[in-house]
Amino acid sequence: MTRGIARTVVLVVMLVFVGREASAQTGSTPSIRWVEIDLGGGFLSGAPLGTVDANLRANERTAQPYRMFTADHRFERSRQFHARARRLFGERWGVEGGVTIGHPVLRADVSADVEGAPGLAISETVDQYFFDAAVVMAFEELSLGRLVPFATGGAGYLRQLHEGQTVIEHGQLFQAGAGVRYPFVSRAAGLVRTAGLRGDVRGYVLRGGVSVDARPRPHMAISGGVFVGF
Amino acid sequence: MKRWLCAAMAVLVFAQPLDAYLQFSVMRAGQTRALKWQRIPVRWHAADRGAAGVSASEFQATMARAFGTWEAVPTASIAFQFAGFSGAEPFDDDGVSVLGFQDQPDMERVLGATGFLVDTVTGDIVEADIFFNSAFPWSTSAAGDPNRFDLESVAVHEIGHFLGLGHSALGETEVRPEGGRRVLASGAVMFPISFGRGVTHDRTLQPDDIAGVSDLYPDGDFRSQTGIARGRVTRNGGGVLGAHVVAFNPERGELVGGFTLNNDGEFEIAGLQPGPHIIRVEPLDDADVESFFSARNPIDLGFLVTFFNRLFIAPSGGQGETVTVAVRPK
Repeated sequence: MTRGIARTVVLVVMLVFVGREASAQTGSTPSIRWVEIDLGGGFLSGAPLGTVDANLRANERTAQPYRMFTADHRFERSRQFHARARRLFGERWGVEGGVTIGHPVLRADVSADVEGAPGLAISETVDQYFFDAAVVMAFEELSLGRLVPFATGGAGYLRQLHEGQTVIEHGQLFQAGAGVRYPFVSRAAGLVRTAGLRGDVRGYVLRGGVSVDARPRPHMAISGGVFVGF
Repeated sequence: MKRWLCAAMAVLVFAQPLDAYLQFSVMRAGQTRALKWQRIPVRWHAADRGAAGVSASEFQATMARAFGTWEAVPTASIAFQFAGFSGAEPFDDDGVSVLGFQDQPDMERVLGATGFLVDTVTGDIVEADIFFNSAFPWSTSAAGDPNRFDLESVAVHEIGHFLGLGHSALGETEVRPEGGRRVLASGAVMFPISFGRGVTHDRTLQPDDIAGVSDLYPDGDFRSQTGIARGRVTRNGGGVLGAHVVAFNPERGELVGGFTLNNDGEFEIAGLQPGPHIIRVEPLDDADVESFFSARNPIDLGFLVTFFNRLFIAPSGGQGETVTVAVRPK
């Protein structure tokens, strides 16, 4: 887990470094080197976390599991909120970093009890934080009026706290997505350079954190928000 | 003779369950004290005679491996020392702990047993002896012998008693038409009924055994790095005595069990790895109740298996939320 976090940090640093290089390459357009603040919210899809059996050792000479019951785990769909800061280095490139906060329900469906106990669903609510950094690429040439499409991709750190907030689980996240920006204000001078709406769809792959089978798990997220550029 | 019971004989003491995994204890002036060794390393002797198919040296080597299995638990601080061969018999109250074979054909369901000499004021174990019933065929073969019982597996179980652990109820059995029970599966070396001939799985401790010995002989960080589940099992508002409570950690696939130990239906399971657990409550119907509780305790067996309706989160040190499980009668 520690090594995984270290890799993520290296990746984030590299993204920032790449961003600075892009800045140098687009230094001829200083008028759009602004910082944007983006606040918003959306939904993160649910995802299966894996099925695990509560096994005893069977009374056989070769090692055989003997299932007492089984539990199928998943995260339910959840609302989430984000705050991001974005640094643009021209019309095309930028980097962004931020935090996304959600409270997904971790659900376990218990079934197949060896003594016939009826199945049931049990759950807890997890506090979930994404800390991530990403490269943003805008496609001005594909704009429809003020609507400007963009793509983004990056990585980050996943932090999940179980109920009671005494147990923390760590992991990594990788994300890629696309969306559109709709600026209401866009000007070359003044405190507020730009302001508008932004919406995107992202695919996440989470690794580590709460899981029962250690496999990476995909989520989809849809979010929207307002941005203000300074 | 199809059924074999690994019995723990608590001699010279009043024994009752103290905690999860049924640690042995003594009552003195209303105070409960767990039976445990205070003088570490614990010295043990091997009887200087073998049994059919097992020489004295093979017996000693097998016992040493079984002691080593418990000694290797990283979260427990227990150590043993082989003190030599002895001509003494197990269960001589001589202050010397002896392990050896005894021919006990009348104990037709007992593979082995452990007895104690204890200080009833402090709960300190002064002497513990183990006998293995040479009326049964034994094997020390590395791969096990399908026609003989695995000596090392039974030794690991008896040494659990030797340390002060009682029986675990983590197991499933079926009633045999001719009487007695057959083990289908078990989740603890300390389950009271042995696996069949040739099965060697109990050479390796399970999470329930490790939690039990670590709770009794905790090593440095054990209590600060594991959590406790406490709660009650109720039926019609009253407490249930003798319910078997199991905590399953789905992230690690580990099962650790405990019991409700009083008429309020209170239980405690220590040694849980931090994280979510599924709590399951069942009646104590997979072995003789006397394997766990003395006969004078009115154990309630007439309820349905029930799960706690939330995921229980074991903290890293300390106790999680209080668990209350209301069971329904069968």
